Amino acid sequence: MTKNILIGTLLLFCTQILAQEKYSISGYVKDQVNGETVLGATVYLKGTTIGSITNEYGFFSITAPKGTYELTVSYVGYQEVTNTITLDANQSMNFEITEASTTLKEVLIVAEKPERTNIKSPQMGVFKLKAATIKKMPAVLGEVDLIKSIQMLPGVTNNGEGTAGFNVRGGAADQNLVLLDEAIIYNTSHFFGFFSVFNQDAIKDIKLYKGDMPANFGGRVSSVLDVRQKDGNSKNFGLTGGLGIISSRAAAEGPLFGDKGSFLVAGRASYAHLLTKGIKDLKDDKVSFYDLNLKTNYEINKDNRVYLSGYFGRDIFNINKIVKNNYGNASGNLRWNHVFNDKLFSNLSLIYSKYDYQLILEFIKLDWNADIKNYNLKYDLGYYANENLKIDFGVNGILYRLNPGEVRPTADNSAINYLKLDQKRAFEGGAYASVEHKLTPKLTARYGMRYSTFSRLGGQNMVNYVNDQPVVYNSELGIYEEGIAESETTFKKGETIKNFGNLEPRFGISYQLNESSSVKASYTRASQYLHLLSNTSSVTPLDVWAPSGKYIKPQLSNQYAVGYYKNFKDDTYSIEVESYYKTVDNRIDYVDGSDIIGTNTIETEILNGEARAYGLEFLLRKNKGKFTGWLAYTISKSEQRSLGGNAGGPGINDGKWYNTPYDRTHDFSATGAYKLTDKWNLSANLVFQTGRPVTYPNGQYEYEGLSIASYSDRNADRLPAYHRLDISATYKPNNKPNKRWKGEWVFGIYNVYNRRNAASISFNQNMDNGQNEATRTAIFGIIPSITYNFKF
Amino acid sequence: MKLYIKLAILTFGILLSSCEDPISVDLNDAPPRLVIEASLDLQKGTQGNDQTIQLSLSSPFFDNDTDTAVTGASVVVTNTDTNEVFSFADQNDGRYTTSVFNPIINNNYELEVIYNGEVYMASEKLMSVSEIKRVEQSFEGGFDEEVLDVSIFFDDPEDEENYYFVRLDEEDNFPTLEAFKDEFINGNEIDVFFENDEDEDDPNAEFNPGDTVDITLYGISKQYYNYLYLLIEQYDSGGDPFSPTPARIKGNCINVNNSDNYAFGYFRVTEFDTVSYTFE
Repeated sequence: MTKNILIGTLLLFCTQILAQEKYSISGYVKDQVNGETVLGATVYLKGTTIGSITNEYGFFSITAPKGTYELTVSYVGYQEVTNTITLDANQSMNFEITEASTTLKEVLIVAEKPERTNIKSPQMGVFKLKAATIKKMPAVLGEVDLIKSIQMLPGVTNNGEGTAGFNVRGGAADQNLVLLDEAIIYNTSHFFGFFSVFNQDAIKDIKLYKGDMPANFGGRVSSVLDVRQKDGNSKNFGLTGGLGIISSRAAAEGPLFGDKGSFLVAGRASYAHLLTKGIKDLKDDKVSFYDLNLKTNYEINKDNRVYLSGYFGRDIFNINKIVKNNYGNASGNLRWNHVFNDKLFSNLSLIYSKYDYQLILEFIKLDWNADIKNYNLKYDLGYYANENLKIDFGVNGILYRLNPGEVRPTADNSAINYLKLDQKRAFEGGAYASVEHKLTPKLTARYGMRYSTFSRLGGQNMVNYVNDQPVVYNSELGIYEEGIAESETTFKKGETIKNFGNLEPRFGISYQLNESSSVKASYTRASQYLHLLSNTSSVTPLDVWAPSGKYIKPQLSNQYAVGYYKNFKDDTYSIEVESYYKTVDNRIDYVDGSDIIGTNTIETEILNGEARAYGLEFLLRKNKGKFTGWLAYTISKSEQRSLGGNAGGPGINDGKWYNTPYDRTHDFSATGAYKLTDKWNLSANLVFQTGRPVTYPNGQYEYEGLSIASYSDRNADRLPAYHRLDISATYKPNNKPNKRWKGEWVFGIYNVYNRRNAASISFNQNMDNGQNEATRTAIFGIIPSITYNFKF
Repeated sequence: MKLYIKLAILTFGILLSSCEDPISVDLNDAPPRLVIEASLDLQKGTQGNDQTIQLSLSSPFFDNDTDTAVTGASVVVTNTDTNEVFSFADQNDGRYTTSVFNPIINNNYELEVIYNGEVYMASEKLMSVSEIKRVEQSFEGGFDEEVLDVSIFFDDPEDEENYYFVRLDEEDNFPTLEAFKDEFINGNEIDVFFENDEDEDDPNAEFNPGDTVDITLYGISKQYYNYLYLLIEQYDSGGDPFSPTPARIKGNCINVNNSDNYAFGYFRVTEFDTVSYTFE
C-alpha cells in the first residue's frame, strides 16, 4: 500500500516535468588539490534562484530553461568558481575548487565562502563540521575528538568526563544513530569514553542532525551523526600523521589505477603502558587502543564508481594479569554509485557492522563474550526533477544477530558452568521518499515519509509469564519483583516472534523573510527498535543491545521544532535560534534494584515508560575574519516517567516524572580560533553546564554492623555545576610552499584553571573511623599537552 | 558471579582513584524511620534459643551523635506452622531478647512490632545451609597475588535454587558482606574468597599471619537475597557512576496502619555455619 503511494507520487512529478522544455547539467564537485569529492557544496546559476547542493558523493544536478548562464560553485573555506555554460542539451561537467588557505591571502579574503547559515533549506537542527574545524579546537591530552567537539554545539551534552557517547536534546546515548560511511558504530569511544573512535586523519566531515532527520535515516529517535571518511588523494601520494602524548597516527593516501581511483589507509595506536606506568599498583597492566581506517574507490566510467571502506578499532585492558578485557567495532561498506542520467543518481550499499566485547576473569576462571552484528543492504536514489523539485527515495533492510552473552569456564577446575544467553535475531526494513519542493521563491517545503518495519525472528525460546506479567508489583512490600515464568514457547528460525510497522512522517518548511533571514518549522516522527540496556548512569562497554519484541516495545518519538535564522554584517555573523518539544513513547527504565548483567529475561527488570524534553537553543557564530568561533546557549528540560502499567503498582519513583540523567537546565559553550600571525593560531573553549541529576542519600541507619544509606527520589539531586576553560596554540614553522614536508606543533592546556569537576560523588562509610563521608571523583585536572602533526 | 563482573568494570575505577577527594555536600534529611534488624539465626548444631532483635531510628546521613535506640516497643515472633509464640523482652537499649526461641528448619515465622501505636508485620521461612567443608589460605586465589586471601568451601545442592549470605568479621574492622546465588555455579563445590587490599601506609591492612577472621555462611531466602544484594551493592558503590542508580531499599517489614511509613531493615530467619580461622 505504502509502496503504491510512493510510486504514484513519483509518477505525478515525472509527468509534470515532461511538459516543459528544459535541460540539465550534472556532475561532481572535487577538491582541486587532492581530488576528494566535496559534500554539501552549492552549485547555482547566477541571477536565478536555481541551484543544487552536492550530495554525500559530491554529485549535483541542475535543471533550467535553455540559455546561457554563469554557473557558480561555492563551498565553505574554498574559493568560489564561476564558469559560463550554455544549456542547449543535457550535459555533465565536473568542477574542481581550491581551498582558500592554499592560495594568496589577498585573493581569498574576497572570495572565500564563509561558514554561514543556510537559511533557504527547510532542513533544521543540522550542524556540519569539517575535519579542519574540529582540529582547531583544543583537545584533552591533544587527542582531537569529534565526539567532544560536537558537545560544544547547543543541545548536545554528555554525561561528564570519562563517559561514552553523547546526548542530544535530552536524549539518551543509545538514541543517536552514529554512522561511519553509513555503517552503524555501536560504541563511539575508546578507553571508557576518554577518546572517540574517529581518527582525525581519516575523517572528511561530519553532519549532526539534532532531531529533524531526513527520511533516509531511521532506527534511532534522537539524532543522526553522519561521519564520512576521506576518499583518499586521487592526485598525489601523501602521508600525514602526528605524534601525541597518548597516541600516534599515520595515514597514507594516493591515486590508484592512474586517475581512476584512490586509497586511504589510516592507523592510530596508543602507547600501551604510558597511562598506567606511573601508578605502582598498575605497573604490570596494559591499557591500550588502536584504530585502522581504510577507504578506496574506483571510477569504472563516468556514470559508475565503486567505493570500499572499512574500520576496525579495539580497546585492550589487561589488569594485574587476572582481568582481561577487550572490545571494539568493526565495519565495512561496499558501495556502487550509478548515474542513470543527468537527473537520476543512485547508490547501492552493502554494509556490515559489528561490536563485540570479551571479558576474562582469571581469578574465577570465567570467559565472557557478547556481540552484536548486522548486515545492511541499502539502495538510495536522488531524482532532480526540475529546478523546484528534488526527490530522494530508497529502501533498506538490516539483519541483526545479537549475542547478549556467553559464559565459558576457562579451565577444568573452574566453578563456572557453561551458559549461553538467548541468541537474538531481527530484521529491520525501511522505505522512504522525501521531496524538497520550492513552492515559491521564498517558500520551500520538504515532505518526507518513512515506513519502517521490524521483525523479531525466531530461533529462540520465549518465556511466558503468569498473567502475562514479566514484572509484578508486590503491593505488600511496595516493590517490583520478577514475574513467575509459567511456560516457554519455541520459535523456529523461519518464524517471527513479533512484527512491528511504523509510519514516520518528516515535514519541514522554510520561509525566507528577506535576503538574510528566514524562519523554519519541522515535525519529525521516528522509531527505534534496538535498545541499549544500561542501568548505570554511565554507558559502559559491557552494556548489551536488546531488540524490540514481545515484551520490549519500539521507542517512538515526535519532535516539533521552530527556528529563526539570520546572517548579518555581510555574512560575517550568523544567528540561529531553535526551540523544540520532543516526546518519546516506550522508553524503558529499570525497576529499583534491577540486575541486568547476565540476565536472560531482561523483561523482568524493566518497565515501559515515556520521556519528554523541551528547550530553547541559541547559536551566534562569527564566520570569517581573523577571529572565528561561536557562542552556544541552551536552556532545556528532559524528564521521564515509568508507570506500573501491566505490572501494577504506581511505577518507578511512585509514578512521578523525574529528571533523566541527561537533563541540563543551562548549557553554555563558546569556542573560538584566532589567527595571530601566519605561524601562530590560538584557540580556546569555555564550557558551563548545570550539574548532572543524581540520587543522593537522605539518611542512614545501622544494619549488619554497617551504616547503610537511604536514598531519596530518583535523580532528585544534582552534581555541582560543570565548567572549564581550554586553550591551545598551533605553531607552523616557516613552511616553504614548495617544500613537501609540512609540520606543525600543537600546544594545549585542558582545564586551564584546574577546576575539579565532579564526574561523580559517592557516599561511603570511612573504614577507619566509621564516619560517613562524601567523595568526589574528578577526572581531568589541568592537563598540558603537545602534539606534532606532519604532512608529506 | 555478577558481582565479579561488576568488579571487573570497577577495576577501571582504580585508574581514577588518584583523582578522589573528600567534599562536603548539603543533603536533604528525611524524617526518621523505624529500623528493624530482626535476624533470627540458628547456628548448625545448636538449639538457637537465644535471639536478639534490634530496633532503632534512621538519622541524617552525616550525623553520628544521635542516640537512635528505640525502647518501649512490643516485639513478638510467631511460628505460623506450630503457632508457638515468642515474646521478646525490651532491654531498654534498643535490644529485645528471648532465650526460648525454637527454630525449626523450613518452618514459617511471623514478626509483629508495635511502635508508636503503629503495627509492623513481616514473615519469613527458616532456610537451611550447607556446612563449610574447609578453609584455605593462599596467595593465588584473589585479585592480588602478593597478598594473602582466605577461602571457604562448601557444596551447593543441585536440585534447588540457593541463596547465600557470607559475612567476614575481623577484630577492629567493619564486617565484610557478600550475598550471592548459585546461578552459573549450581551443584558445584563453591569457594568464596576474601582478600584485603594492600595499603602502602598500613601494613596491617592486608591479611597477615596471626590475623584471625570469623567467616559465617547463611542460607537465605530469595526475597532476602534480593534485599541484601542491593543493600551491599549500594553500600560498596555509594553511587559511583558505574553502578546502578541508587534506589530506596525496602525490606519485608510493612506498616499495617500506614504503608508509606514502612520500616527499614529486615526480618530474617536463617541457618548458618561459621568458622574461625587464623592465618599462618
